[in-house]
Amino acid sequence: MDVSRRGFLKLSGLSIAAFATGLGFDPAVAEAKGYALKLEGSKKFPSICHFCAGGCGMLLYVKEGKLIHLEGDSDHPTNEGTLCPKGSSLLSVAYSPDRVTKPRRRAPGADHWEDISWEEALDRVAKKTKEVRDASWKVADEVVNAKTGVTETFPVNRTEGIAFLGSAEVDNEESYLISKFCRVIGTPYNEHQARI
Amino acid sequence: MTRKMVFVDTSKCTGCKACDVACKEWNELPAEKTHLITSYQTQKDFTPKTWTYMTFIEKYENQKMNFLMRKAQCFHCAEAACLKACSSNAISKTDSGYVVIDHDKCIGCGYCEENCPFGVPKADQANKKYYKCTGCIERVENNLKPACVHTCQPGALEFGERVVLLGQAKKRLTEVQKTNPKAQIYGEKEMGGTTFLYLLLDRPEVYGLPANPTIPLSLTLWKDVIQPVGGIAVGGAGAAVAVGVLANLLRGNYRSSEDDSNNHANS
Repeated sequence: MDVSRRGFLKLSGLSIAAFATGLGFDPAVAEAKGYALKLEGSKKFPSICHFCAGGCGMLLYVKEGKLIHLEGDSDHPTNEGTLCPKGSSLLSVAYSPDRVTKPRRRAPGADHWEDISWEEALDRVAKKTKEVRDASWKVADEVVNAKTGVTETFPVNRTEGIAFLGSAEVDNEESYLISKFCRVIGTPYNEHQARI
Repeated sequence: MTRKMVFVDTSKCTGCKACDVACKEWNELPAEKTHLITSYQTQKDFTPKTWTYMTFIEKYENQKMNFLMRKAQCFHCAEAACLKACSSNAISKTDSGYVVIDHDKCIGCGYCEENCPFGVPKADQANKKYYKCTGCIERVENNLKPACVHTCQPGALEFGERVVLLGQAKKRLTEVQKTNPKAQIYGEKEMGGTTFLYLLLDRPEVYGLPANPTIPLSLTLWKDVIQPVGGIAVGGAGAAVAVGVLANLLRGNYRSSEDDSNNHANS
């Protein structure tokens, strides 16, 4: 079918008219838009930030078994809802591909780490602790009396081959347990990272 | 919903960047490789994956250093240049005062970035869409504070009704001015009043902010003068053609009948 000159004019006229009405109406009429919260349907767990000894309260939002959001607990007296940059980044720590989730061992002289089971790891640590403790056990120590200049012997019953190193990430309760364990095992060397 | 406001009190800011991290965490934005630029600043500008960052300025005056820190993000202007410039109506403003990009509508033309006096929106090269701070609109609409405000430990960020917070800001300004005489409020009148309002310790220029941010003249001319006039002109022309066509139809195809008869005669 040929398009005659008149037909072409009619068509173009109509399209221009349509275009003009399009311009005349403003489609920017604000559309009422609901903003759904991603937390909907998630379970809330109160927790404590492990990053420093401050012990800020955190709220963890878990949905379908996955941690989806984490923020400061507004009802917690320490932080009243706030979190520092390290605390707020803990979500990425939880799902970091670099996170170590299983015990690993690097054998003496080896250039790589190998995955081992918890059973194996605990057994090995226990065995080595006993070994070192027995080898470095000191029953008595000699001290020179400053007044008389005579060497006296005192019972000490301690191991000098084991030391504990705490960290700024250790909180109050953990510190208590570590110091208690030091007494049990018999080492006087309980140090902190900040003093090195 | 009444107009909301976030008051950024830079006199209380410690530059810890928790707002930065909380923003990334809430909006599920990946971390980007950073490096030191000046002082403790690690981010040079906004990116489609970094909607807020800290600027650090070390200003020396009388052999004394002034450490000026500012949280940079979209200002959510009342008279937003991006909204005006947007060619696909993807940018809209909420009653609470937030300027939001609808990514279903964004076509990535880039007019928002070009016209924003603060250069906030940035294009994602992968999908050619523009991204910027949403002001945590979904949190605000559900009666929560924005993520950055919620996490701020020194209390440098405060969220509330604009009317109430503006009064508080002014009160705080008189307090701060005792030690920082150059301190001033930024965002009360600028761009029609911004949703993120600052208390700056020095002139805005020192922070790298425009002293008088405005909607670019070219944009005002285009949107308020040329486009409406053009629309009227095109509409008028279209209407004239339409009237002509209709008139032609109503009056009957006198010429065609003539043509037909001529054709018949010739054949």
